Amino acid sequence: MSDITLVIDGVECRAAKGDTILQVARRNDIYIPTLCWMEGLTPIGSCRMCVVEVEGNPKLLTACTTPAENGMKIHTKTEKLKQYRLQILELLFAGRNHFCMFCSQTGDCELQRLAIEHGMDKVRYPFLYEPFHNDATDPNIQLDHNRCILCLRCIRVCAEKVGAHTLDLEKRGWGTNITADLGKMLGESDTCVSCGACAQVCPTGTITLRDFVYRGRRNDCDDQVESICPLCSLGCRIKAYVRTGSVARVEGLSANSPDGGQLCHKGRWGLPKSTERDRLTAPMIRTGSSFREASWEEALNLIASKLGSASKAGRAGALLSELSTDEELSVVSSFFRDTMKMDKVDGFFGNMLRGFVKGFQPFADQGIRPFTGAHNILESDAIVVIGANPQEEAPVAASYIRVSTIIERAKLINLSAGKNPFDGITDADIRAALPGEMEKVLVSLREAVEGGPEPKEPAMAESARVLREAKKPVFVIGSSLAEHPSLVTEALNLAVASKAFFDDGLGVVPMLRGGNCLGALNTVIGESDWLSESELDFLYVLSTGMVDEDKRSLEAMTRARFVVVHTPFMVHPLVNMADVLLPAPAWFERSGHYCTLEGERRRMNMIVPPKGNLKGLSVIMDELAGKLGLELQPASAAPCENVYEAKSPSTSARTVSLKEVR
Amino acid sequence: MALYRAHVLICHGTGCASGGSPKVLETFREELQKKNLDKEVLVIATGCHGMCEFGPIVVVYPEGTFYSQVKPEDVAEIVEEHLYKGRIVNRLLYKEPISAQKVCHYKEIPFYGKQHRIVLSNCGYINPDNIDEYISRDGYQALGKCITEMSPAAVIEEMKKSGLRGRGGGGFPTGLKWSFCAASPGNKKYVICNADEGDPGAFMDRSILEGDPHAVLEGMMIGAYAMGADEGYIYCRAEYPLAIKRLQTAIHQATEYGLLGENVLGTDFSFDLHIKEGAGAFVCGEETALMASIEGQRGMPRPRPPFPAVKGLWGKPTNINNVETWANVPRIMLQGAECFAAMGTEKSKGTKVFALTGKVKNTGLVEVPMGITIREIVYEIGGGIIGDKKFKAVQIGGPSGGCLVEEHLDLPVDYESLTAAGAIMGSGGLVVLDESNCMVDTAKFFLEFTQRESCGKCVPCREGTKKMLDILTRITEGNGKPEDLDTLQYLGEQIKATSLCALGGTAPNPVLTTLKYFRHEYEAHINEKRCPAGACQSLLRYTIDPAKCIGCTKCARNCPVNCISGKVKEPHLIDQEKCIKCGACMANCPVGAISKG
Repeated sequence: MSDITLVIDGVECRAAKGDTILQVARRNDIYIPTLCWMEGLTPIGSCRMCVVEVEGNPKLLTACTTPAENGMKIHTKTEKLKQYRLQILELLFAGRNHFCMFCSQTGDCELQRLAIEHGMDKVRYPFLYEPFHNDATDPNIQLDHNRCILCLRCIRVCAEKVGAHTLDLEKRGWGTNITADLGKMLGESDTCVSCGACAQVCPTGTITLRDFVYRGRRNDCDDQVESICPLCSLGCRIKAYVRTGSVARVEGLSANSPDGGQLCHKGRWGLPKSTERDRLTAPMIRTGSSFREASWEEALNLIASKLGSASKAGRAGALLSELSTDEELSVVSSFFRDTMKMDKVDGFFGNMLRGFVKGFQPFADQGIRPFTGAHNILESDAIVVIGANPQEEAPVAASYIRVSTIIERAKLINLSAGKNPFDGITDADIRAALPGEMEKVLVSLREAVEGGPEPKEPAMAESARVLREAKKPVFVIGSSLAEHPSLVTEALNLAVASKAFFDDGLGVVPMLRGGNCLGALNTVIGESDWLSESELDFLYVLSTGMVDEDKRSLEAMTRARFVVVHTPFMVHPLVNMADVLLPAPAWFERSGHYCTLEGERRRMNMIVPPKGNLKGLSVIMDELAGKLGLELQPASAAPCENVYEAKSPSTSARTVSLKEVR
Repeated sequence: MALYRAHVLICHGTGCASGGSPKVLETFREELQKKNLDKEVLVIATGCHGMCEFGPIVVVYPEGTFYSQVKPEDVAEIVEEHLYKGRIVNRLLYKEPISAQKVCHYKEIPFYGKQHRIVLSNCGYINPDNIDEYISRDGYQALGKCITEMSPAAVIEEMKKSGLRGRGGGGFPTGLKWSFCAASPGNKKYVICNADEGDPGAFMDRSILEGDPHAVLEGMMIGAYAMGADEGYIYCRAEYPLAIKRLQTAIHQATEYGLLGENVLGTDFSFDLHIKEGAGAFVCGEETALMASIEGQRGMPRPRPPFPAVKGLWGKPTNINNVETWANVPRIMLQGAECFAAMGTEKSKGTKVFALTGKVKNTGLVEVPMGITIREIVYEIGGGIIGDKKFKAVQIGGPSGGCLVEEHLDLPVDYESLTAAGAIMGSGGLVVLDESNCMVDTAKFFLEFTQRESCGKCVPCREGTKKMLDILTRITEGNGKPEDLDTLQYLGEQIKATSLCALGGTAPNPVLTTLKYFRHEYEAHINEKRCPAGACQSLLRYTIDPAKCIGCTKCARNCPVNCISGKVKEPHLIDQEKCIKCGACMANCPVGAISKG
């Protein structure tokens, strides 16, 4: 990288070739106003706010798009430029409805901020007063064209980061407008994934999220806390805005990170909406059909007495949420497994995780880390989706797949029993029922990739060709595959045959669902599915209340004689099953670590302090141990970073025989 | 090739074809068969002759007799008299508007006298659907010469020497542009022909594509060879179906002859050519928007740098030239740069094709050497103003151009002089305006067009031109304010400076030049609520001269809103409040008592 030197407003700046003038200026603390520009999105130079003068060039250049060149002498603050910028702001204000006091985004608006900054005390041009459409067809997102300045950020984020390309422009001239699906209302769109990214990047009050307007402007909020979303195994980074002790809204982080600052509909709405739910604030003990509040002492005594006898009879179990932090899982596991010596400990997703573990085992035995960071989907040139529905299982991973396919032109192959989740953008789509047919398909594909007989079926032949030519294929395997561990193994075999080798492991992205599934793997997941069969006298359930419980867990709770539910919210039907309710901190009151599919351990931060009569999990476990005359043992299971440590490089992986596995 | 004693050339350009020339051609064939002349006389469909106003045009060779406005029913007479008996049909000859005399021969027509048809030399002369006719006129010789005898660098050097400048409007030296693309690293490059001619009233490119498509193909191939490109696109607007059809035929025939495709003429040079139809957006004539459109995106310009020569179509080095530029290339390479550079002025070489329209007697397509004066174009080629009214201005360069007035009549037409006078060469639209044209209305017309065609991407163009248009509309409706002129000037300059692409960068030109030369007309609209040219309907007043009115009531009976009152045989009166300015009264007055103004 060759260094160049240029002068901006008299300041000598060093830069790398390829940097834009704006990047150089920002790095040197020289302010250039921008409006359409946004970090991480392709600069388009449409708003013209960032125009600068370059000596020797009669034309004005947009700082956001013009590459810096050696020896450039740039002026960013001349009187002429100020006039031009003011004029642009006035034209924008006169073009549509920008009467700030009627706008929900006033105070949060970049247009308004620039107008104040430029001292725009009047608009010289008559207002157009032309009513545009206010698209309120979507239940969550409102698109008021009257406030649009056509910065095209929403279009760019939708195409470049979400890969949905729902939004684009229609019409010409001053009547140019944002439209969904080439002329539909947003609510009628087939391609919109309701992620709300468009609203996050909108600089004005054009695209807003109905649930969060009038909850407080960003600047009015008391605090902004960075944390992560626990809802799926990607663990997307979030920024939570706190107002009067409550989470007012949740947004993704910078568009410059690999995930593009994205959140999915679950994170964007599910997280802040949970603050409105009924909280459990004190321990409760069932009396008939209702509960009465109890002291911690009383509740723990009751629990200890039930647990003691049940565990002696081997009829006590613990069911733990995979949305818990590493620290929580360690504490609970140390109590039940190491202190109480119970073997009936499992997670809500236990069956699925056991399936993956079993399928991964032959490769883990080789010292291979059997998966890679999900963002590597963006680096790959061929993506094979096997029995997965990423838009449901990990929506941001679905965005990665779409972006990689549509923008980076990676090939996309889908193998599934049912509907193709990426209909329209797949290069090959193969239907195969689980498990038998799918296994045949996977085996014959692998053989073809390894140089065996070419499959006759065109989609299969195309897939084999793609995989033979691909340099960095990635295999996204769905949770449905985990019901048949041999399919997981065979999918990994195909990955090995296709040389899906990444630095951090084999090019496989399993759809693990729960936020800390990886962390749960060797702390709480049991050896076998005891939950489905056992008749229990005691069952402890740790729930975050953020995902619905599955049938298997609910049935086990119904069968158990005594159930302790430890949860932050009054979650039904979970609460109905409980004999004792223990209050837990909600996701925004907890901190700890998550082992994410992005390949890194991410920290969840406490956003607001816990409310109510809560006790820490380690305190509870310690007291319980004391009441049972035991001492809380340190956790024997290692925290998640040891899960599937890469002992050998992924390139050394070899395929395994399915017979061996069986 | 069979020999014929006579050739009948029937224009099949869009103009003549819509005037019925295919039917004329068919009738010729039938009549000749009846007379058993079909083995002696060959009937050929040609491209445009330029005098579209007088179409359908039929030229009979070897005499070069020029028949205009030929209808199918005239054909029998031409066959019988001219082709059978050898007597020219006087009745159908072209009548010269100045001298009102019939002109027999093509070359005697003054419209063609001052012209210098280089690019258009084949138009109207050969059958564009037959590659052999192009080849017989030295077609594809230049390509052969370039790819077998010259190095790519030598071709570019020759182009530089010729001094050819882009005919699409910008006037950038073509050889230099080629050298940029040639110097860009990369083994995949594209050449593009910009045939998205969108200026209202301009049809230069269409006529070239329809009349001589192979010249464009040959030019592109020479360019591709020089720049190391192996793929090309012709981006042609879908409103030119005939041009697209002719191009398709030309590409098909050239491919069959081994002139296009793999290993052209047995050399290592290979070239693939596609046609991409535009969907009718003016802004797609802007090169970066054009490339976006080819890529399948919405046609919106993107900022430069990076320039297309570095990062163009699909991110590869790309060279875009206009139809006329490409069509010039084979001639330059065949006849040599010196021969081309001998024409024109010091900085503007060769010829330029203009679409001459407006208030001149001869409208049509003209090709003139650079440096010719506007007076020669208007008065000698154009035959002067219709009805011998007073010349007011020429609008040159289409919606991006500007107005030139009487004092500029002797200005030589070249890039520098036109730019200095506030207009631009543009792609070649030349509209002549006379005293009955209102300049405010003319500026409004062009701005309405550019505003409607703005892609909506950048703020100054999208919002600014709308504001200017609103002000102009107000002025033409009599609601202008004195400060409007300063606002127009200020807005116009700001839009020009800050717009992203040339559409916005030039859109205010018609307003700014008319403000410069016709400020008094604007002031009349604003201060006196009067349109001096009588063109702005809202400002018109129809009045009845009581001294002339004979009280025949004809005006009152024809008035659609019953706003004229008066008794029989007494002077009538128009109620200005109710009058809708339709002009029915004036048209019906038997004694000319009604005037407007």
